[in-house]
Order: sequence, then structure tokens, then C-alpha cells
Amino acid sequence: MKLPSKPMLITIILIIISPIFGVILADLVGYHEPLDVAAEKLGLQDISENINWTPFFDYTVPGLNPIVGYIISGFIGIAVIISIGYALSKITGERRH
Amino acid sequence: MHIPDGFLDPIWSITTYGVSAVYFMSILRGMKRTFTPERISLLTVLAAGIFAAQMLNWPLPGGTSLHFVGGALAGILLGPFYGSLALALVVTVQCLVFHDGGITALGANLLNMAIVDVLVGYAAYRAVTKVMGLSGRSRFIGGFLGGWLGITLAGIVCGVEIGLSPQFPYGIAITVPVMGSWHALLGVIEGLITGLVVSYVASKNPEIIFSDKV
Repeated sequence: MKLPSKPMLITIILIIISPIFGVILADLVGYHEPLDVAAEKLGLQDISENINWTPFFDYTVPGLNPIVGYIISGFIGIAVIISIGYALSKITGERRH
Repeated sequence: MHIPDGFLDPIWSITTYGVSAVYFMSILRGMKRTFTPERISLLTVLAAGIFAAQMLNWPLPGGTSLHFVGGALAGILLGPFYGSLALALVVTVQCLVFHDGGITALGANLLNMAIVDVLVGYAAYRAVTKVMGLSGRSRFIGGFLGGWLGITLAGIVCGVEIGLSPQFPYGIAITVPVMGSWHALLGVIEGLITGLVVSYVASKNPEIIFSDKV
């Protein structure tokens, strides 16, 4: 499977700058999605931390500071997506042959 | 936009899992013959790009923020069914690897972002380009409207899902206006990004806009 280089380069740049928006600015101004606003009004409780199964919870990596962890998480996510795409592509290619 | 664990009533959790499962089983059955390594490659690269773009939140002073979702963009570039698969890949990886979006809400998150946003975005783009004809202007307007309308309706559906619960008899009267108004406002940015990306792709590689080929 050939991945076009330009979009992949843009993706890598987005991952590298992502902590500016996802960690630093979020901490400065307070990250609050409309969904959080609606949930607060109903008194809904997010129980994700109580039933968590992943070491990369909320784009963090154990032992790393949040900014580095966010970037590493981004690369982990892309690696998983590309691996699945690669497997699909291989299966599809073999079927066609 | 990602509903976490704890927000959904069990009835809605099961219902949304059911709707999403039926949709994806149906489209996969119909898509089998159209799978090619080239289209899988495009799907993968777009899914990776959308995953990265979703990590950039736009926090606005005053409190509310939003991130790019990309459902309309995927629907426009890849066509509705491949677009749904691209978003399903993103949303499922986010849930399973990073617990971004709850496991009890995966069906709902797929419904909102991989189905509603993708299909609405695609339909809006197709409607605009059909009426105006294919041009740089119509592609931008179609992309803008697709991105904006897609995220606004996905937000409203999300509001219905968390608001329609036996625990909160009047919940929907609170959640739908909040989700609808905020997404309609912040969705302008989603629309602008979608319109600009579609215009750019059309100017460089128009052959990869599958919505234009239907």
C-alpha cells in the first residue's frame, strides 16, 4: 500500500503541533465542549476513568509529561490506523488476484 | 462530540449500537466488489489525517470549544460509504486505544460522526454541485455547507441521544438547543475547513473527489 507523501507530511505536522491546541491552550482557557455544557445541565457523570482499560487514556502516556505524551499518542493512533489500512489493502489485493 | 461512558441511557446505548451495526453490515455487503487497494490507501491516509486534525481542539476564551470532526470531508472526498468507513476507523481507534468516547457510547458516536455527519455532508455537497454545476466556487460552497450542516445535525442527534432518557423527562428540551446552537455556531469553522480542503484537492487532484464521479 502506497501512502501519498504530502498528506502524510501534513498529518505528521498536525500531530507535532497538536499539543498547542490540545494541551497548552486547553489548560489556559479551559476546555469545555458543548457536550460537556449539555451534560452539566442534566447532571450527567463521566465514568470513563472508573472503567478505563487503556494505558493511553485521554491521549497520555504513563511516565511522560502531557505534551510529549500527546504527541506520542498521536503517532500511536496513526500507526494503528495505517496498520489496519495496510491489512485491509493486503486482504483486498490478495482477493483480487 | 465524543460521548463518554456514563452519559447514555442503556436503552440508547443498545439502540445506537444496533443502528450502527445494521448500517455498517449493509454498506460492507454492498461495497465488497468496489474494494481496491487504491481506495483503501486513500481511505487510510484520510482517516490518519482526520485523526490528527481531531487532536487540535479550538478552545475559545469564555469556555466553549470544539474540534474538527471531518465526517463531511470524508463523505465528499471518498463518497458516503467509504467516508463512513474512514470515520468509523477513526472513532473506533479513539475509543479502544485512548478511551476518547465511551465503549457504551461507541454505537452512538459512530452514528453521529461516521453516519449522520458523513451522509449529511455528502448530500449537501451533492445538492449544491448539482444545482450550481461543478466549479471551484460550487465545490467550496458545497464543502462549506456540507461541513457546517453535517456537524450541526450530528450535534443535534447527539443532543437527542443524551437528552432522551427515562431519568430526565425533559432532558431533550435542554440538550438539543445547547448542542444544536453551539454546533451551528462553531460548525462554521468546520464548514470553512471542509470547503477550503475540498477546493484545494479539486485544484490539485480532482480525480480523487469520488462524490463528483457519481
